[in-house]
Amino acid sequence: MDFKWTTEHDAYRQRIKDVLKKHLPADWAQKSLYDNGSDFTVAFSRTFCPILAQEGLLIPHWPKEYGGGGMDAFHHWILNEEMWAEGEPRAYQYMSINWVGPAFIKFGTEEQRKVHLKGITSGAISYCQGFSEPNAGSDLAALSTRAENTGSSYVINGSKIWTSAASFADYCILLVRTGLQGRGGITVLVVPMDTKGITVRVIPSLQGARAIHEVFFDNVEVPLSALLGEQDKGWGVVTQILSNERIGAPRYALTWRGFNRGIELLKQHGRFKDTDVQAAAARCQGALEAAKALALRVIDGRVKGKPADAETNVARYAAVMADRSVCEFLGNYVPDFIFAADEPMLASAYKRTASIGIAAGAAEVQLNLISRNLLKMPREE
Amino acid sequence: MDFDFDSDHIALEAGLDQLLAKYRGSLPVGSAAALQENPAIAASLRDAGYFDIEREMGATGAVMLIEAVAKLPYTLEVAASALVAPKLSKQPLRGPIALSQGSLATPTRFLPQAGSALMADGNQVRAMDLSGCKVEALTSQFAYSYGRCAAADITKAPVLPGVTVGQLQQWWQIGLAAEIVGAMHSAIDLTVEYVKNRRQFNRPLGSFQVIQHRLSECTVLLHAARLLTYKAAWSGEPTDAALAATYAQDAAVRVVYETHQFHGAIGLTLEYPLHYWTNRLRRLQGELGGASQQGSRAAQALWAA
Repeated sequence: MDFKWTTEHDAYRQRIKDVLKKHLPADWAQKSLYDNGSDFTVAFSRTFCPILAQEGLLIPHWPKEYGGGGMDAFHHWILNEEMWAEGEPRAYQYMSINWVGPAFIKFGTEEQRKVHLKGITSGAISYCQGFSEPNAGSDLAALSTRAENTGSSYVINGSKIWTSAASFADYCILLVRTGLQGRGGITVLVVPMDTKGITVRVIPSLQGARAIHEVFFDNVEVPLSALLGEQDKGWGVVTQILSNERIGAPRYALTWRGFNRGIELLKQHGRFKDTDVQAAAARCQGALEAAKALALRVIDGRVKGKPADAETNVARYAAVMADRSVCEFLGNYVPDFIFAADEPMLASAYKRTASIGIAAGAAEVQLNLISRNLLKMPREE
Repeated sequence: MDFDFDSDHIALEAGLDQLLAKYRGSLPVGSAAALQENPAIAASLRDAGYFDIEREMGATGAVMLIEAVAKLPYTLEVAASALVAPKLSKQPLRGPIALSQGSLATPTRFLPQAGSALMADGNQVRAMDLSGCKVEALTSQFAYSYGRCAAADITKAPVLPGVTVGQLQQWWQIGLAAEIVGAMHSAIDLTVEYVKNRRQFNRPLGSFQVIQHRLSECTVLLHAARLLTYKAAWSGEPTDAALAATYAQDAAVRVVYETHQFHGAIGLTLEYPLHYWTNRLRRLQGELGGASQQGSRAAQALWAA
């Protein structure tokens, strides 16, 4: 076992920090509010992603033949950690890089690759993920938004919900039902968001600006070339996308920063001498260290080409536990600093700890998967 | 970063597995006493050289040994002999070894059979040979043998040169965390098997989601505690050791509650093996002052309050 980064990994992280330092404005905290859906951050991402591309830091883990750096998953993770800790200056374009691009590489036609990979690597195109529906949340395969193949086009009717970034994305990677119920009748379409018949409603939320939306499809017509992969075989694409995500974003990165800031403030104001506060802080630190180590173990498996297993779910759940403990800590011991307006990073970290058990799937689904795949518990008879 | 054991440690794991297999399957059910020592295990581990594992395979090897032994239904002093003592003392000490925070007048784990004790004294650490020391054995329900020795004059015991109390605490914490991890592992395994087979309401208990979720949470705690323990063994950082012990002691409390909850009354009997791990976990939960004290110490070191 070796828990140390290589000097190359360390140097890579330092390079990212340097680039962030050079290109983030001095008043980044006040302007972005560490909110990746804010007008400021979204506008910023459109110039920042091309800068990252020039620096070779946009798609380090993509294969070289598609313009990537051919680097291992640890590099990708380090990049994500550093970006997440800054409130994600790529706005929601991190999704393009993490899974949209790889999905086009794996399932796209030549034409789709040409348009979309270029759009992603130049930072020009952004996406939203049209997966969840009012009646298909954790149970994604129950989705009912329909697309009829008319022979010359797809006509889409239905709605999606909880869609991040939908009000400013250029395209939606949309799951629709083209066939029977269940996983077998699902298809993936790539739908331009300015197509006639699409209505987007921002849902105001605890999470920040434009973090979640409703998207309505009323006789939305797209050409057959919008198909990604094969018709009725979209579940395979979804599985690939989700396993590409596998461990998700390193959400603990901003949590950890907020936690450190909380400790700093407690110390500055002479409030860290209480042994109860100290013990609670150590419990958070232990939970964060555990979440990070378990996540890195999953990345290590990916680097070694091992198939994804229930350790991924263990790691994700450990991240939820860490966020919960930090949420409790900050809420207990530094509420005065959170609610004052002069600590945007702390406030944002605190705000986000409220969503970790929900974001990217309910934490209880992770427990279901651990139970089924690791403990081999019996199903209900 | 590499989260796999190297080939030497994999071989060590397999060797331990093989050597300990026969003790795993022989749960003395039906006439079980609370205290289960088995000198044969210590003898076979000693003969095979496992108590010297730290010298050859470092703290990671020693932690593997401690964890494997802690999974057994028998109690055995191995953490102090195979990890703490080799880390602190150049001279071999007569085992088994008791660890003490400073006073042998308080109930001390393994003292009745211990050959020597490692103990804190101010900021120093002393190694005391216990031959000639009149130990009062305590009747304990909590799996381990406890003893005390009111008359012991620790000031006569030699000071280990250059060794600080912090170092004693650090390796003690890692050994403790590894013991907890092993015991939690067995308690969870036993409970998972139990709920798969036990039928109530015309279905296996394990098919109820509430049980699945809570045992899955226990599994997350186990995996997290285990990884923190191995990280602490690898890094040799005192704060890593304190965090691992804090995490493991908190986890132990939760695991004891859940594993008993899903066993119902059978888990409370001495005729069913769960108590082997319960009793140990309940005792280990408070060692070295318990999770809050370890946590507070870790915080002071981490953030220099």
